[in-house]
Amino acid sequence: MTSALGLLSRAWHRARDVWAEIRAWRRIHFTSGGMVFSLGSFAVGFAAMNTGNNLLYLLLGAMLGFIAVSGWLSEQAIRGLVIRRHIPRAVTVGQELRLTYEVENTKPRLPSLAVELVEQGLPGRAFLAHAPPRGVGRARSVNAFSRRGVHELDALTLATSFPFGLFLKERDLRIPGEVVVWPRTDRPARAPSPSGGRVPRAGPTARGPAGHRGEYRSLRAYRPGDDPRDIHWRSSARLREPVLREYERDGAETRWICLDLRAEPGDAAEVAVEVAASLAANAVAEGRSFAFIAGDSLVDPGEGPGQLDRVLDVLARVDFSATAPAPEPPVDPEACVLVSVDGAPGFGAVLAVGRDAVYEEPHTEQGPEGADDPPSEAPRADAVAVAVETR
Amino acid sequence: MNLRLLHRRLAVLMSMAGLVAFAGGAGVEPVSALLAAVALVVALVWQPDRAQSARMERIWLPLATILVIRALLHVFVIRDDVVIPVVDLLLLLMAAEALRFLDAPNDIRLYALSFALLLAATAYRPGILFLLAFVAYVGFSVMGLMVGHLRRKAERHHVRHIPLGRGLVLTSGGLVGVILLVAAVVFVTFPRVSRGWAGRGETLATSIAGFSEEVSIGEHGSRIYGNPQIVLRVEFPQGQPANMLGLHWRGRSYDRFDGVRWTRSRSLPPSAGPVQWYQERWSGPLLEQRIYGAPLDVRVLFSLHPVVEIDAENGIQPLFDNAGDFMYWGNGAPAYTAWSRAVAPSPAELRAAGDGYRPLARYFLQLPTDLDPRIRALADSLTAGLETRYDKAEAVRRYLSGFAYTLELPATARQTSLEYFLFERRAGHCEYFSTAMVVLLRAAGIEARNVNGFLGGEWSQFGNYLAVTQNQAHSWVEVWFPEFGWVTFDPTPGGAGGGERLESWFWPGRIFFDGIQHRWNKWVLDYNAQSQTGIFKRWSNAFSTQVSTADGARPRDGSQTTPLWGAALLALLILAGIVWARRGGVPLSREARMYVRLRDACARAGLEITPGVTPMALLARIAERRTGATAAAERVVDLYLRARYGREELGPSELQEMTLALSAARKNLLKHGT
Repeated sequence: MTSALGLLSRAWHRARDVWAEIRAWRRIHFTSGGMVFSLGSFAVGFAAMNTGNNLLYLLLGAMLGFIAVSGWLSEQAIRGLVIRRHIPRAVTVGQELRLTYEVENTKPRLPSLAVELVEQGLPGRAFLAHAPPRGVGRARSVNAFSRRGVHELDALTLATSFPFGLFLKERDLRIPGEVVVWPRTDRPARAPSPSGGRVPRAGPTARGPAGHRGEYRSLRAYRPGDDPRDIHWRSSARLREPVLREYERDGAETRWICLDLRAEPGDAAEVAVEVAASLAANAVAEGRSFAFIAGDSLVDPGEGPGQLDRVLDVLARVDFSATAPAPEPPVDPEACVLVSVDGAPGFGAVLAVGRDAVYEEPHTEQGPEGADDPPSEAPRADAVAVAVETR
Repeated sequence: MNLRLLHRRLAVLMSMAGLVAFAGGAGVEPVSALLAAVALVVALVWQPDRAQSARMERIWLPLATILVIRALLHVFVIRDDVVIPVVDLLLLLMAAEALRFLDAPNDIRLYALSFALLLAATAYRPGILFLLAFVAYVGFSVMGLMVGHLRRKAERHHVRHIPLGRGLVLTSGGLVGVILLVAAVVFVTFPRVSRGWAGRGETLATSIAGFSEEVSIGEHGSRIYGNPQIVLRVEFPQGQPANMLGLHWRGRSYDRFDGVRWTRSRSLPPSAGPVQWYQERWSGPLLEQRIYGAPLDVRVLFSLHPVVEIDAENGIQPLFDNAGDFMYWGNGAPAYTAWSRAVAPSPAELRAAGDGYRPLARYFLQLPTDLDPRIRALADSLTAGLETRYDKAEAVRRYLSGFAYTLELPATARQTSLEYFLFERRAGHCEYFSTAMVVLLRAAGIEARNVNGFLGGEWSQFGNYLAVTQNQAHSWVEVWFPEFGWVTFDPTPGGAGGGERLESWFWPGRIFFDGIQHRWNKWVLDYNAQSQTGIFKRWSNAFSTQVSTADGARPRDGSQTTPLWGAALLALLILAGIVWARRGGVPLSREARMYVRLRDACARAGLEITPGVTPMALLARIAERRTGATAAAERVVDLYLRARYGREELGPSELQEMTLALSAARKNLLKHGT
């Protein structure tokens, strides 16, 4: 009895699965032109029946033929495609994310024309103008993110109103993927030196122990966030641009950057993340070795752009919480720079952004969709490619 | 060629096809049609820039205003047909739109204007030219709409080039084929619920002489010229009859002759002869004639004599008058089926006809008051010694057969008289012969009347029908025989009579094209419920035959077709169900579906469930309600979260557990819900 019920239950669920699959097959919407055309067909049919005018029946038949052909050809446009989505390794907040799609048309005779590819949750649309029979077409969408994090890509919608623009046919494809959005690294934040750096007057406040600053090394161009007291005025006047004195010790030691996650998620936390990212970027610019700690995540000392990517990857994923553990660097905290919302004692230098810090959303003015021609070459090798085939 | 230019040219070609369709159906004023055609041709090869387009706007606007005023005058002042002024306005708008700069967003207007012309053409009775224009319109529309769509998308997405080339033409060709096929299927199968078209109809009715209320034999000074226009197309479903060239297509009869004119008496009592006589005493099978008439300015139904039944097919209403002539009420070209007795009574039967009922002598023995005494004398001399009506009629016919047939009219008015024909000229056209025979028979005391119609026709091998042209118009005589009714006698020499023959170098080509035109009329313009039933019956019979061939059993009438229609209906329902079902989005997993059902149950139980409510918030709200469903709901949500976010694949036992938990949760929620 129980097994029979189980069998029935499985059959029932299987039937429901099949039904769900069928329902998920396609979506069809009227365009405004399609609505007018359909109403026109209805009117012509009505007139034909009322008058018995055979030529109106002929017109009605042709209009229904247009509708039928429209449905069939739009179906052909979005089937028989192998879609490879190329996602850049990461994108920085405010910068353009270019998702590239390589669409292989496996149909032997029919091309796929005018297909739009839309990632669910993203506003940008990629436009596949043409994929020849047994050929490949490429499309690209441009998006921008205003917050760091990991954006999951789940379903890709293929939409087309080809051939006549009467109806919009859509189908969804599950193509899992994710976009890593790094925080910005251009926030003005001068790295205080735990053993003698000065407190910057602009940006987040910093506190560090007193001490001498090491030997003078060279002059360099002023960068936003630098302490204006380090400006070498005489050279600046001669060169007609601000020039800064740089000291030997600033670049000689590993900079340990600690991010304190003990705060409520919000603007202040995001500012802290961006300050930490900017510190890491500054270290790369200075050619300095640096390491990073946030919660349980630790990025061992290293230098260069690769090290920055690793830190930004961690920063893209960190979550703030009032109950998060305090950062525990594997070195003497006195040698570390702590970036925090409220500040904390025991660290060599502390950059406290304050609870009132305001997160300024980047200006993400997006150009016209697909403002350029579709890329004619395959995307960079470091992109992630995920493929799915439509049936 | 870029997409904008290609699209504009295709839209212009659509407009041209619309113009041809309308001109083929209703005709247009030559000047406006010519100007519009010139403008469209110019638009194919030259597109103005924005400044030129703006300058031309200054011309179009006053012209359009003038045409609007003209149309209003036609409606409110002249009270004349408004179609042509409106069509002129349409043509002007079309020319103006076609001659705009390329970037003008006017493609929809061009589509609409050309479609309006096509639609307007259907209100008439267009010829085969409409079909050609319609096919061209569909072809250009397919390509135009496709290219227009690609153009708009390319502009929106800033794509400079979309490769089309030969593929577009091939694809379009295939699509046109499919669309026309669908159109044909819809045309054939769409149920005809209306009996006929009562629209504007026969605006191009052909004027034809010889069938009005009076017919004169008094024309003189010229010659009768043949008119090769086809007025009747006759099909014989039972097969091609013998002696087709001798068939008399009877139209109207005339009983009163005043010496020059034949007229119809208004007070004529019923005098056609009982149909029963014709059915019982005329031998031979009933000959079925399916007749497609051209729209004429006289509403006469032509058929072979004697007609025992007429069935109209395209909405006309046959009227049977007292003389036994068939007229009709209604517009449009008549299409009807007539059944007639094929063989007239034999001479022996006619000679044996008794002295039964005769129609009123004052109508059918009427003679002109100033009848030349020589005519009476001639009648007496011809019939002297003969006893039967038939012998007397034959004597008169034989006498007249010695006269000459000519289409040359008498030179002067004096020479138009019957006396001049009988005693001096001894030559004339068919109306003289028939008139002379009627007058001579009446003078001899035999009831007779003059009948006009057509004689013979040309057999079209291409269309398997008899084409009867205007120059086969003919006059002959009907003589009354008691117990047999009116019997046809044709005194015109050779029996062929009629007008000029049609053997000319262009006739084979003409009859070929007329065959196409006939098919168009028959299967498109005059297609009706009866034709539809006939087609379905043939299909049904074909299917039944196949069934019987397959299993060796004899098909029973209609019983075999039921499963066919049942299966078709079932397939249609399944298809409709699938189409309806395929409206959804990404298919939900089984766990997700169960979670959604839990949310639905919460909503039905009165919990406020908005799209932003997370699973944990849902549980919190269920717990607040204290319905006893919390534990079960927690289990459902837990399994759902594990599967959805933990990427776990639930086993059969867990799914079973989830199902049971969902059932329990729903039960408690709905039980305690508000």
